[in-house]
Amino acid sequence: MFRFFTLFTGGRKMKPCFNKIFKSVRRIDTFQIITLPAVIFVFLLFVLMLFVYFYNALPAFIREGLAVYFKNIWQASEEPGKEYYGLIAAIWGTVYTSMIAILIALPISIAYSVFVIDYVPKKLKNIFIIVSDMMAGLPTIIYGIWGVFALVPFLQKYIMTPLYKNLSFIPIFSYPPVTGYSYFSAGVLLGIMVTPFASAVIREAYQMIPFTYREAAISLGLTRYEATKILLGYIKPAIFSGMILAFGRAVGETVAVSLIIGNTFNLSPSLFAPGYTISSLIANQFGNAYIYRHMLPVLYAGGLSLFIIGLIVNIVGLYLLRRWQENVRI
Amino acid sequence: MSEYKIRKGKEIAFTISITILTFLGILPLFHIIATVFVNGLPVITKESFTFLTGTFSNGGIGPAIAGTFILIFLSSLIGLPVALLVGVYAYEYPNSIIGKATETLLQIMLEFPTILVGVFAMSIIAIPMGTYSAFAGAFALAIILMPYVAVYTQEAMRQIPFTYREASFGLGLSRIKVIFRILVPLSKRGILTGVLIGMAKVAGETAPLLFTIGGLYESYPVSVTKPVGAVPLLIYTLVQSPSKGNHRMAWGASLILLLIFLLIFIPIRVSLKEVKL
Amino acid sequence: MKKKCYVGIGIATICIVLIIAELHIYIGNEKSVILRTTGATFPQYQIQKWIKVYQQSHPEVKIEYEGGGSGYGQETFLQGLTHIGRTDPPVKEDTWNKFLNTGDQPLQFPVIVGAVVVAFNLPGINELKLSSEALVDIFIGDIEYWDDRSIKSLNPEVNLPHEKIIVIHRSDASGTTAIFTTYLSLISEKWANKIGAGKTVNWPVDNMGRGLAGKGNSGVVAILKQKEGSICYTELSFAIEENLSVAAIQNKNGRFVKPTTETIQSAVSQVSSYIPSPTEGYKEDIKQLLNAAGDNSYPIVAFTHLLVWQNKDRKHYSPEKAKAIKDFLAWILTDGQKEENIAPGYVPLPPDVAQIGLNAVKMIRI
Repeated sequence: MFRFFTLFTGGRKMKPCFNKIFKSVRRIDTFQIITLPAVIFVFLLFVLMLFVYFYNALPAFIREGLAVYFKNIWQASEEPGKEYYGLIAAIWGTVYTSMIAILIALPISIAYSVFVIDYVPKKLKNIFIIVSDMMAGLPTIIYGIWGVFALVPFLQKYIMTPLYKNLSFIPIFSYPPVTGYSYFSAGVLLGIMVTPFASAVIREAYQMIPFTYREAAISLGLTRYEATKILLGYIKPAIFSGMILAFGRAVGETVAVSLIIGNTFNLSPSLFAPGYTISSLIANQFGNAYIYRHMLPVLYAGGLSLFIIGLIVNIVGLYLLRRWQENVRI
Repeated sequence: MSEYKIRKGKEIAFTISITILTFLGILPLFHIIATVFVNGLPVITKESFTFLTGTFSNGGIGPAIAGTFILIFLSSLIGLPVALLVGVYAYEYPNSIIGKATETLLQIMLEFPTILVGVFAMSIIAIPMGTYSAFAGAFALAIILMPYVAVYTQEAMRQIPFTYREASFGLGLSRIKVIFRILVPLSKRGILTGVLIGMAKVAGETAPLLFTIGGLYESYPVSVTKPVGAVPLLIYTLVQSPSKGNHRMAWGASLILLLIFLLIFIPIRVSLKEVKL
Repeated sequence: MKKKCYVGIGIATICIVLIIAELHIYIGNEKSVILRTTGATFPQYQIQKWIKVYQQSHPEVKIEYEGGGSGYGQETFLQGLTHIGRTDPPVKEDTWNKFLNTGDQPLQFPVIVGAVVVAFNLPGINELKLSSEALVDIFIGDIEYWDDRSIKSLNPEVNLPHEKIIVIHRSDASGTTAIFTTYLSLISEKWANKIGAGKTVNWPVDNMGRGLAGKGNSGVVAILKQKEGSICYTELSFAIEENLSVAAIQNKNGRFVKPTTETIQSAVSQVSSYIPSPTEGYKEDIKQLLNAAGDNSYPIVAFTHLLVWQNKDRKHYSPEKAKAIKDFLAWILTDGQKEENIAPGYVPLPPDVAQIGLNAVKMIRI
């Protein structure tokens, strides 16, 4: 075949060129033929998901524009003209509870990482790590049922009610803790649930700090506390990235939150008020959204916003982590 | 107070607060396990055979357990091949654009809100099919399972010393033979760990099942294109009802779910040093 | 070696469970037909009782009960995701046309009579009288405390606490809500103008911080039981099953009545109900049993309906499923209406109304 080709291309001069092309064609070997379709399939699936959400949310955008994200109204009616929806209450709930979650996760995951690496005797170290991993993988519905029957009554009785009775002049405590279902309870449960994820990132980063730094700190006579402060400062980007990833997780959690957040359209800054998150809104309202002409696109729009929040958060978190990791490898 | 004493004081305060915070972080797990056992064990031991195998009106969660197993099996069937291929690709081409993008995509999908996956599966499978089905649920679960297995596969293969690769290529094997005949079998254990972790995770998922499987608790599932039940979904439904009887069943079912989870999770974890989440 | 042990044990357990499951499938499911009913939670206890009794005498039929609310029931029925839909209020014409667009004929008929009651959670207090104005004002949010003058004047002997009234309503599209809000619109112009009626409405108490939402009647009752000082509306059977205190409300004749079998039956008998042909279900008026005349009539009474397909050209049901559905529905409308099969909190249909359902069942094609 090569000889045939050279008839048209001027003979021997083209041989090295042709060999190169031929070799690069051969480089797409059977390995890629098998695995690349799988990779492409996954990418396409992801893009399809994004498309499905966008496509189904489009009617909502056409009808109300981006205002659907900023209004606080949920008026369902079987007369299509009278329906008005706005997602801001759900968006607020999602953001608020996730912020509470990472406020809780931050100190605990840092403390945990330091404890496991610096303080724990070698034999027990694995046990602590196993416990953390178990908490990460535990089925979320078990967190949910524990939340409903154990956590919420506890929080309501021992934390929310006393705070409300004594400090209700402060706006964030001003809502009466009626059933205990509130942003606060959801935030605490989310905090418990996402701490293992943040810990994993921080723990790994803390472990990766070159030993020379520790040696230097010890040789300078620093106490453990002071040495730890310095080391933590060194891994600040990793801590930040861990928090962002935890935030991403918290934002997406559905089942456990929907059982204890109270499911009302509230836009209150008070911790003890019940509210909605985007994911629990979808979980609760999707079933009956079909009989209302305009509710379904709005729910999809909510899903789209969750998609985008999750995407942005994850990408930023991963980017920071990777950049820091590259810088650390000396 | 001398400076030394101040520093020492801070040191002690620090140690104490670290310890307290750590235990605060660990405590919930023990409390959860204890609560589930305390509340669930009486339910299970009362009439264990009926509970484990009977249908819902007879006080059992048998169909739900069967449904969960069917879903795990089916989602693995759908998701594992894709996951392995993707993981292997990510391992083999870590520096190419596609490879890097794949890694990023996998990390993103690891944390993706599962409710969105469920709604997606509903719109492209359950609705066109016109029925809830085990298949739709398994599809959603497969999407969730895939990144776990892919990432573990990639990591496991990375652990293999480079010399094996060099030797295999040096012997003149084609890339596909090197990967699938030599390297993958070498990283069997790590891959298997990933598979089991993925299955454990997927067994406990609820949100993707909400709008895809429909629920089936009065009879055992016989078809994958028909609705099916699952333990986590059943628990979710029962917790929201006011009846104490339903709550009791929810605790019993939670205990079963916890046991399934522990049964898969602990052996893996004990035998592996580092688990990626 | 140790790991292999664990893995081995794990696999063995799985195998044992699968074998047991297989046995059950083999023994139990030889030829069973599985039916599915989805929707309103208003008739929950009644439907579940019917399923239990029917399955005992017909072991080859298994009927799966799913909740979700009337809205969900109509939607899953439309999508073909369920065999028998359940809805409290008659389907609206828009939705009925959507049903017709599938090419098949939908059939709607009432199956049982129930009542929406006002339940409350005040420790130590079992009896409460609420006038029509007080009822509206509580749910619209104008009355804030339990010991408000308007409530106190109706109940002078009752020791009402100075607590805020927490109103619990539905979060999902609910026929129970539709019935309740239609009644309130009927008796109060203020309500009709400000809130109106529907399966989902805007509750002003939400913005006042005194509103909570529950999913399904069971969700609402679950919250009520936990929260002292709360009030809700739900179906009578839930109040009975969960031992809730129920308020006596004012009927058309001005008397305070509590919901009991007698008061509900009184309401049903006072009204010559107009039930349209099953093929024109949307023509039914939800208001017909509401605010019935009669001294002893309970004012918030309603039918709850089932939706089935006529199954033209076997579009929705296979022959064996269609037969099973016909048998089950015929049983509901005959044996199911007998006293021993009625769940507490519900009242059987008048015979002429049941006949309409039977006519519909005859229309289903196998």
